[in-house]
Amino acid sequence: MSIMSYNGAAIMAMKGKECVAIAADRRFGIQAQTINTQFDKIFEMGPKLYVGLPGLATDVQTVAQRLKFRLNLYELKENRNIKPKTFLSMVSNLLYSRRFGPYFVEPVIAGLDPKTSEPFIASLDLIGCPMITEDFVVSGTCSEQMYGMCETLYKPDQEPDDLFETISQCLLNAVDRDAVSGWGGVVYIIEKDKVTKRILKGRMD
Amino acid sequence: MSERYSFSLTTFSPSGKLVQIEYALAAVAAGAPSVGIKATNGVVLATEKKQKSVLYDDSSIHKIELITKNIGMVYSGMGPDYRVLVKNARKLAQQYFLQYQEQIPTSQLVQRVANVMQEFTQSGGVRPFGVSLLMAGWDEDEERPYLYQCDPSGAYFAWKATAMGKNFVNGKTFLEKRYSDNLELEDAVHTAILTLKESFEGQMTEDNIEIGICNQDGFKRLSTAEVKDYLASVQ
Amino acid sequence: MALADVCGIKQNQFSLSGSAFRSDTSELFRDVEVGSNNFSMPFNFDPVENLQQFQQQDSKVKIHFDHGTTTLAFKFKHGVVVAVDSRATAGPYIASQTVKKVIEINPYLLGTMAGGAADCSYWERVLAKQCRIYELRNKERISVAAASKLLANMVYNYKGMGLSMGTMICGWDKKGPGLYYVDSDGERLTNNLFSVGSGSVYAYGVLDSGYKWDLSVKEALDLGQRAIYHATFRDAYSGGVVNLYHMKETGWEFISRTDTAELHYKFQDEKKK
Repeated sequence: MSIMSYNGAAIMAMKGKECVAIAADRRFGIQAQTINTQFDKIFEMGPKLYVGLPGLATDVQTVAQRLKFRLNLYELKENRNIKPKTFLSMVSNLLYSRRFGPYFVEPVIAGLDPKTSEPFIASLDLIGCPMITEDFVVSGTCSEQMYGMCETLYKPDQEPDDLFETISQCLLNAVDRDAVSGWGGVVYIIEKDKVTKRILKGRMD
Repeated sequence: MSERYSFSLTTFSPSGKLVQIEYALAAVAAGAPSVGIKATNGVVLATEKKQKSVLYDDSSIHKIELITKNIGMVYSGMGPDYRVLVKNARKLAQQYFLQYQEQIPTSQLVQRVANVMQEFTQSGGVRPFGVSLLMAGWDEDEERPYLYQCDPSGAYFAWKATAMGKNFVNGKTFLEKRYSDNLELEDAVHTAILTLKESFEGQMTEDNIEIGICNQDGFKRLSTAEVKDYLASVQ
Repeated sequence: MALADVCGIKQNQFSLSGSAFRSDTSELFRDVEVGSNNFSMPFNFDPVENLQQFQQQDSKVKIHFDHGTTTLAFKFKHGVVVAVDSRATAGPYIASQTVKKVIEINPYLLGTMAGGAADCSYWERVLAKQCRIYELRNKERISVAAASKLLANMVYNYKGMGLSMGTMICGWDKKGPGLYYVDSDGERLTNNLFSVGSGSVYAYGVLDSGYKWDLSVKEALDLGQRAIYHATFRDAYSGGVVNLYHMKETGWEFISRTDTAELHYKFQDEKKK
């Protein structure tokens, strides 16, 4: 079994009209054994910037902490909020610094530009190759299923409420075909003046 | 008395001063004058570039240097020390770009160059830089110009307009009278030339001054032909 | 040959020349008409040795058997309760949530399915045939002990050849409720309570804390269902619906088919009370 699927996870992000959404499942397991179903995999990196970290749980937490460390230094030094694209470079650099002994995480970034509120989503592989897209990004143990759901349900320029519905359906139905992720979900809808967090009920098997 | 404390830079004099830094500032005050003025839509840097001999090929000597496409720099003081700082500044700017895939903001470059200058006041086996810097930049993010001065101590300040080097007190007094908040870049270039002219000895030509301007298109050093045109319109 | 190369199959292992497969047409006829216990095999083929490449972890052509399952059965005062989940997985992929893992051998015999789905369903089908033949010959129903032993003996003949099954044969005979565990290693055990599959550890946990011989029918059915539900919650490879059967003196009765999602919120509400 791959170390990337040792704990199991499913995370995706989507662009909407003047908003972005990021969603994750809530399972923490050790291979087949489900340990916790209230596990955080999405981390706040700024008022309108979130990162989702699927992969090996120990690295998920380490990378989240190291990113916050670098980000805090950046924002103190530069006295401004980081732009999502700049944060992408920061994540990429952190991951590539471990090119020959990687962190086993494949991050997803979703946020709005702190000044222009331009929506931004991106994902990276575990050694930091960045990928910016205009519609959606997925990462985790059931990426095929998530791609399938997103390709069929995604529409551009959705309003926040519709985007929430779309991303929720994509996540829940994708994880229902994956043994090692699921057990409920969480969705963040990021808008110019507010962020809404919602917990999703899902199949608990 | 002060000689007793000048064997090491890291030693304070009894009055609480680092005298080597003061000597460095003296070297700056003795150097060729430089002027910087921030306008609403850009910044201008101007400096005197007089050579000791007519035999110099002045087209090969530059005091205004490009650091990134948006940031330029000029100095008063010791030329060779300046070269080291230019090399350092360019490297710092590129390191920032490598890390963030984004142009370094002027404030960040100034801060980092100032850090280098500060280290040279506290490290063993080195002396402070004998230069003060003027850094002009256009911030793409905030869409506004910046003008900073950076001293041998590592202290740095943001200015609307300032003068350094020989006769800098007169230069500043002149600028205080001439500066206004709604100055445009073209007028700022004229004002910069006039400020240099205040204390200029002999005839000012396109070969013995240098001008750099910075606006939303980036930083550029003016060609001798462009400087000549400005000089003509001032006279 | 390109496909064989991609799969990493060594040459000459499955010779494709004319005489590779037995081509006795009469035998093939017999296979179709009456069913056969003779499986056609490549010429010079030693299954123990040659099937290993389909079993090894690093094999490019590993056959993923349906290992993830939770099944359970227990005897009590009023018969046997049989409960199973319904998930089929291939690696982490959920292939189905609606698999029937209880095999209805005849009105007095049930078999559960864990391991290879094909192996279980095929051999329990053969068992059904044998049990029917027994009934016709002896004018009485086969005992659970005998039926389970037939199965155990059949799979023992294929020991080491890659069969994969862990089954519980449940029934009612002259001696009352019967429960036997039979697996592809040839093991055959009887006891009051069994659970088989990757989720069995969790099911045992629930079962052991609630099991008594004197359970009422309602309590026993609830216990079986509850045990499977908890296994589906903890075990990634178990899930779907809980199929529940009750074996009585009059034969088996299908009790219910309940989605685990429904059970989860029911049991959650129970905890709050």
